[in-house]
Amino acid sequence: MPKIEVQRAALMRSIGADLSDPQLEELLTAAKAELDEPADAAGMMKIELNDTNRPDLWSTTGLARQLRVYRNQEVPGYPFFSRADAMHDSGDRTIVVDPSVREVRPYIFGFVMNGPGVAPELLDDLIQTQEKLAWNYGRKRRAISIGIYRADLMQFPAHYAAVDPDATRFVPLQDDRELSLRQIVHEHPKGREFGDIVASFDRFPLLTDDSGSVLSFPPVINSAHLGAVQAGDRRLFVDITGTDIPPLLLTAAIIACDVADWGYTIEPVKTVYPYDTPLGREVVAPYYFQDAIEAELATVQQMLGETIEPQAVIAALARMGVSAAVQDRKVRVTVPEYRNDFLHPVDVVEDVMIGRGMDSFEPEMPQDFTVGRLTELEERSRRLKSTMVGLGYQEMIFNYLGSGNDFVDRMYPPELHDRMRAQTVQIANPMSENYQFVRSSIWPSLLQSESVSANAPYPHAVFALGKVVVPQESSASGTETRTNLAFLAAHASAGLNEILSHVAALMFYLGKEHVLEDVHDDRCLPGRAAAVRLDDSSTCGIVGELHPRVLDAWGITVPCVAAELHLEALFGLGASR
Amino acid sequence: MTTDSLVKSLHPLEVRVLLDTAPDQHIDLATLRQRLKFSSGHANQALSWLEAKELIAEVERRTAVSYERTELGADFAVNGTPAERMVRVLQADGPLSMSDLRAATGLAQSDLGSQYGRLSKIGVVSMDADKRLQLASDMQLPPGDLILRGLLERSADAPLAETELSQEERDAVAANAKKRGAANAMFRIVERDIVTYGLTAAATQLADELRTRGVTGDEVGQLTPELIKSGRWREVTFRPYAIGTAPARVLPGRRNPYSEYVDSVKDKLVALGFEEFDGPLVETEFWNSDALFMPQFHSARDIHDVYYLESPQHVTHIEEPYLSNVAATHENGWQTGSRGWNYAFDRNFTKRLILRSQGTVMSAKQLHNAKVPGKYFGILRCFRHDQVDATHLSDFYQTDGIVLGEHVNLRTLLGLLKMFAEELAGATEVKYVPGYFPFTEPSVEVHIKHPQLGWFELGGSGIFRPEVTKPMGIDVPVLAWGLGIDRMALMHLGLSDLRELFSNDIERVRLRRNSG
Repeated sequence: MPKIEVQRAALMRSIGADLSDPQLEELLTAAKAELDEPADAAGMMKIELNDTNRPDLWSTTGLARQLRVYRNQEVPGYPFFSRADAMHDSGDRTIVVDPSVREVRPYIFGFVMNGPGVAPELLDDLIQTQEKLAWNYGRKRRAISIGIYRADLMQFPAHYAAVDPDATRFVPLQDDRELSLRQIVHEHPKGREFGDIVASFDRFPLLTDDSGSVLSFPPVINSAHLGAVQAGDRRLFVDITGTDIPPLLLTAAIIACDVADWGYTIEPVKTVYPYDTPLGREVVAPYYFQDAIEAELATVQQMLGETIEPQAVIAALARMGVSAAVQDRKVRVTVPEYRNDFLHPVDVVEDVMIGRGMDSFEPEMPQDFTVGRLTELEERSRRLKSTMVGLGYQEMIFNYLGSGNDFVDRMYPPELHDRMRAQTVQIANPMSENYQFVRSSIWPSLLQSESVSANAPYPHAVFALGKVVVPQESSASGTETRTNLAFLAAHASAGLNEILSHVAALMFYLGKEHVLEDVHDDRCLPGRAAAVRLDDSSTCGIVGELHPRVLDAWGITVPCVAAELHLEALFGLGASR
Repeated sequence: MTTDSLVKSLHPLEVRVLLDTAPDQHIDLATLRQRLKFSSGHANQALSWLEAKELIAEVERRTAVSYERTELGADFAVNGTPAERMVRVLQADGPLSMSDLRAATGLAQSDLGSQYGRLSKIGVVSMDADKRLQLASDMQLPPGDLILRGLLERSADAPLAETELSQEERDAVAANAKKRGAANAMFRIVERDIVTYGLTAAATQLADELRTRGVTGDEVGQLTPELIKSGRWREVTFRPYAIGTAPARVLPGRRNPYSEYVDSVKDKLVALGFEEFDGPLVETEFWNSDALFMPQFHSARDIHDVYYLESPQHVTHIEEPYLSNVAATHENGWQTGSRGWNYAFDRNFTKRLILRSQGTVMSAKQLHNAKVPGKYFGILRCFRHDQVDATHLSDFYQTDGIVLGEHVNLRTLLGLLKMFAEELAGATEVKYVPGYFPFTEPSVEVHIKHPQLGWFELGGSGIFRPEVTKPMGIDVPVLAWGLGIDRMALMHLGLSDLRELFSNDIERVRLRRNSG
């Protein structure tokens, strides 16, 4: 969710009102936005935008537009958009696309903005918009990147082609050397950040003007000459390159509407493709590509639980900047130029909800009668827990992720480490090696607890009931999630008899016949480990005295005995996979 | 301390000292041992307790010397001193050479030599012509040796106080005692402070009080089976307890307060008609995100947001028709009435195994098994690719659920949220604001005013998009909700750091209380 920096005074000017912070916060809910940090000494505040489908709100200008419209209900108009049936005249402003970019980064659109010299705060907002759109909406420039150039210094038509990365050289922004495209990818900070988007191709995209001067190396960096925009520039050329047409046209629309709101004139630019696109071979941008969307009035009313009259629906949508008409009990919505978030009629419903105001809906209790219940496993787990408490154990609750060192190495002799790590579910992209494995047993959690609790008065008796994950070849996921109960007693005279009595008590109150069978477990002293078997001879747990090697590895100096029961097996419940 | 509680706090040993001691009389360890027949331990306890209560005060302190029998002394007491052994052997076996005598007495050469030197000087032994040792016919051990024999025997139970010895005895013991390195001497010299006490004014008063009340110090502390069976309980008096004294700590078995809190939330949801669901920790991209209509290129689906499994990496299959329905919905909207996301759905990526990152997964999975009408919930462990700190954990609980019904709508959603706010959070005021979630439309956040925490976001909710429900074969509206109960759990437990909820410190967990 993007956060933007907004100059408070500029926002208030654009809204046309002077609001207190609480008033602003309330108004911001219409844009699903929150005041993250109030204005600092320089008058800058931070606003968080929650709707990832509304990139038009990620600038001071775009946010102000929504808030202004919400207050005034006046839907703004932007006449400079071309449509399939009505292309604007683009004069000599053309981008010529070379077939070579088709596999690399096939689409480009542009327009020119013309007006008074750009004020510094507007340029800052424009650059912020460019960055937020390319980073959040354009997936870190992979899908969308945006360049801005000094239009008066360049000659149209511009040329977009894929070129030899070693033979092509120019001076990029933030450097003073002439570098090849490949050098930029390896040496320039922006190249290192974004170069991998194109690095696997033989040829890299390049945008030049008609004289051959480089405008930019999309999606990496502008040229230091034509691409060095500064406050006071009057006429700027904006290009958007990427992999898919609608997001590029939406991005162009958002920026064009923003600068049009500043009072700039938009001069359309035509892109000429040597290959077919869904919009044909010649497209003039900014271009209105959105389809109208229809919602049944009945759907709107049913979903909102209110009989809202057609005029009220139209008025509510107008507050969201959406023009609509109701005919034959259908709400027909014309999507604003700068939005593309109407995927389904339910999206119309939400705009009606916000436009009408949340306070206008009276909460109503659900009428349907339903029977509430816990899962069978939860019911039984609770009974087990109360027996454990009766046996004198303190319940613990642990995290499920941990290190290979804790979950495996401290538990097993060195020659088994590799094998046991392979039998523990491991995370491919861990944040740190402290959270790299999913526990397959609760014992390491209990031992870790013991290892940090030598200062707690003895005896120690602790238990935990929770999930573990074990490899399971017969499962589609190769794993099985189990619910286990594990308990551990630690004190100077802890011994197997004590914990065997506790296992016996638990099984007695569960009404489960069980037998103990000698078993070898590398975590326990030889001859002091037993499998807990049910009368159908299935195994449902382990009980044993921890091997001094294990205690030593944990830095524990008192004897420990422990048990762990697999509850789905114990209760004959289905496995969770 | 009141007189009453002071009386009750007295141990029988203290009572007996107070009753036995006259106001002007002085007491010390020895007098208690002699007069009251206290053991040394009891005498020590009585004095230290009385002094702590300021019932006795120190009158005089002096250093007393006493002689404690060593192990060697104990051995000599039983088996004889070297002189006694020499005499005994020579009496029994007649004259013997030095080496034969050594073998017969078991004494060291040096001991034998020094004893011979001492005894020959006073004519008790002499050397005959054959260099054999013989006793004088009228031989008699010197008086010192006889005194020493008596001292060795008298010191068996308690050290010999210097003040209780005659001059001769002092000389005899001094010749055979050492202060340090006494292992090769018969006695160890011990110097101790002897403290003499007198009763304080309060003690005199208290003794009168004890007499008035008839307290004798012979009261019974512990009621025994023997006392009950014999009926002797009718004759004895029982010592009252000092109720105010801090009792000893016990280490009880106990539930974890956080887990109890989670249970209480579950119980409330069950009371509101919700049925619990649960599921595996290992999920697929399909259920975790695709089934929730989050496009595969969505920024929240980055490698830095979910944990991938190292092995295996992909599930073998995803159940049909759900896979095809969802894939078509992403690509072109399928039969949901949506235009879809317009991209090529990746059927391999969707099989990627991950650790569940949001509880909503189980809501989505529940759909095709759900009853209509139906209400479901789960409190589910989820995993996030986050740096662990006071407000972020790598694994934590999320509370999620759904409500299915022919007639549910935005207003019933608001009603449901109001019910949660009041029943689960004890909210005094509720506020609804538009929210954004990829899988609900419309979406609503509920903010509540909590009596202690003030305004905060209790949770997010909405009506599941048809792109989520229709591929699962559900044609009725479904309300979906998620509640952030962590902040309430922290407040409930009086904590401020999420990591504390999963603390592995036994003592911290033992001492944790439910404040709510």
